Amino acid sequence: MSLIQAILIGLMSCTAASTIACLGTTVGNYTLNRPLVASLFVGLILGDVPGCILVGMPMQVMWIALVTPGGTVASDLRAVSYIGIPLAYVGAKAAGMDLAGKDAAGLASSISAMTGVIGITLFYGTAMMNLIWQHIGWARLDKGDLGIIGKVDALFPLISHFVLSFLPVTLLCYYGADAVTEIFASLKTDVWYVKALITVGAVLPAVGIAILLKSVVTKTTDLIFFAFGFALAKSMGLTLIAATAVGAVFALINYQLTMVKAGGGGAAIDDDDEEDI
Amino acid sequence: MKKISKKTLNSSFWRWWYGNLTCFSHEHMQTFGYMWSMLPIIQELYPTHEEQCEKMRTYYPFFNTEPQIGAIVVGITAGLEEARANGAEEIDDEMINGIRAGLMGPLAGIGDSLIVGTYIPILLGIALGFAEGGSILGPLFYIVVWNVTSTLFQKVIYNKGYELGGSAVEMIVGTQATAFRESVIVMGQVIVGAMAGSWVNITSAVQIATDSEGKAVMLQQKLDGAFPGILTMLFVLFAWWLMAKKNVTPIKVLILFVVIGFLGSVSGLLG
Repeated sequence: MSLIQAILIGLMSCTAASTIACLGTTVGNYTLNRPLVASLFVGLILGDVPGCILVGMPMQVMWIALVTPGGTVASDLRAVSYIGIPLAYVGAKAAGMDLAGKDAAGLASSISAMTGVIGITLFYGTAMMNLIWQHIGWARLDKGDLGIIGKVDALFPLISHFVLSFLPVTLLCYYGADAVTEIFASLKTDVWYVKALITVGAVLPAVGIAILLKSVVTKTTDLIFFAFGFALAKSMGLTLIAATAVGAVFALINYQLTMVKAGGGGAAIDDDDEEDI
Repeated sequence: MKKISKKTLNSSFWRWWYGNLTCFSHEHMQTFGYMWSMLPIIQELYPTHEEQCEKMRTYYPFFNTEPQIGAIVVGITAGLEEARANGAEEIDDEMINGIRAGLMGPLAGIGDSLIVGTYIPILLGIALGFAEGGSILGPLFYIVVWNVTSTLFQKVIYNKGYELGGSAVEMIVGTQATAFRESVIVMGQVIVGAMAGSWVNITSAVQIATDSEGKAVMLQQKLDGAFPGILTMLFVLFAWWLMAKKNVTPIKVLILFVVIGFLGSVSGLLG
């Protein structure tokens, strides 16, 4: 990987630094931070879009739902997306793996978990560094300087991003890529520890799905709907969009029942609203 | 009669849309983003610098919620601030902060479960389908659909909050809204199941017997004969149980699963 490529990836990581992203919540955190989207940009930088997307997909599955209640994070995807994807791509290439195959997916998931831990460190580091800017802000506000608010909110945090996103990501990509290439070039996929790495990668997505499950399940009986959806996909072979349609039927029935119980009548609702609210 | 101009409301909204969390710290999560968003409104409504400084103090207290659905709170306070500037005496710092503090928790719950926990995963799930084989269509689909719908949604609820003031709360926690929310979550449960069934594939490498022709009888085949993918489902449910019922943090569950996967592979149980 050239230095320019590493620098570009480093810049991308600042725009997508989890909830603190310098491009904001909607574009930064919930768009550029997601591994599937990141894989497109990493692919453009590294010159292999389809290859990087294939590597990014299993990572996206693992972190499909990343809720950060009250600022406690399970992972900060800036590291998964902008360290994990480039390194996993370079590694899988060097090992001569089929990027669409099971081995590459397992490897990607394993690297995704490791880089997720780096991300947590970067997240708390950035949040700590922002305390400095906020203290400056409160001090200036006491003196009646209202213009400081915008600087504290949008300008000064860029320094935090330079120190805690740009530098670590650029350096890890630049020096990490060579190291990874060297390790993986001599790797045989049937050695026991590589097999173990790939099996770990197959097991880990279960945790990502479970995080998501936790956010939609409130009572244990809700798990019946989960098992139902599982059977739709696995036993009946429905695609995700088809399963969504089946799920929507149950949602509508549930809505009408609840409204009848509440005495409000089950008025039909607009499909467009359903996406947003 | 003072009225906030359209331009100022827009500037307030976009500042919130962009800057709600850009200066996040664990001490003052969205406080600076909130102040930055209210500043143009305060500056327009109150002519003197002393008044502006004094009114900004209303927004010093801590604020944190799911910021996208939280746009409605900024809209509500914009409406209240306008009424206050026109002499509504019942609106004071205490009342504004009462509304802010009262909405933070419920809105965070709704936003986390509905936007982050259901809507985004569904979009990503569909996008993953489109991305099959490394197609650029997947990421593009997500980028466009998510940003357009999310931004429109935030703009609409910000404006609703401004128009309705305090009574906008009903829109989000009323009976109909609650029923709607719970129903979408039912759909979410089915979809999460389908995601587990399509994307996670944990298999066992255990051979339980040899049949009469000398071929291996694998445990995996027998399990799948009973309920396809049951091993995968059990792993997901186990991880869920640890997090939801035993309050184990996701990162610890992750480490535990690394150990399970490693030992499972080495012992030949999984693979």
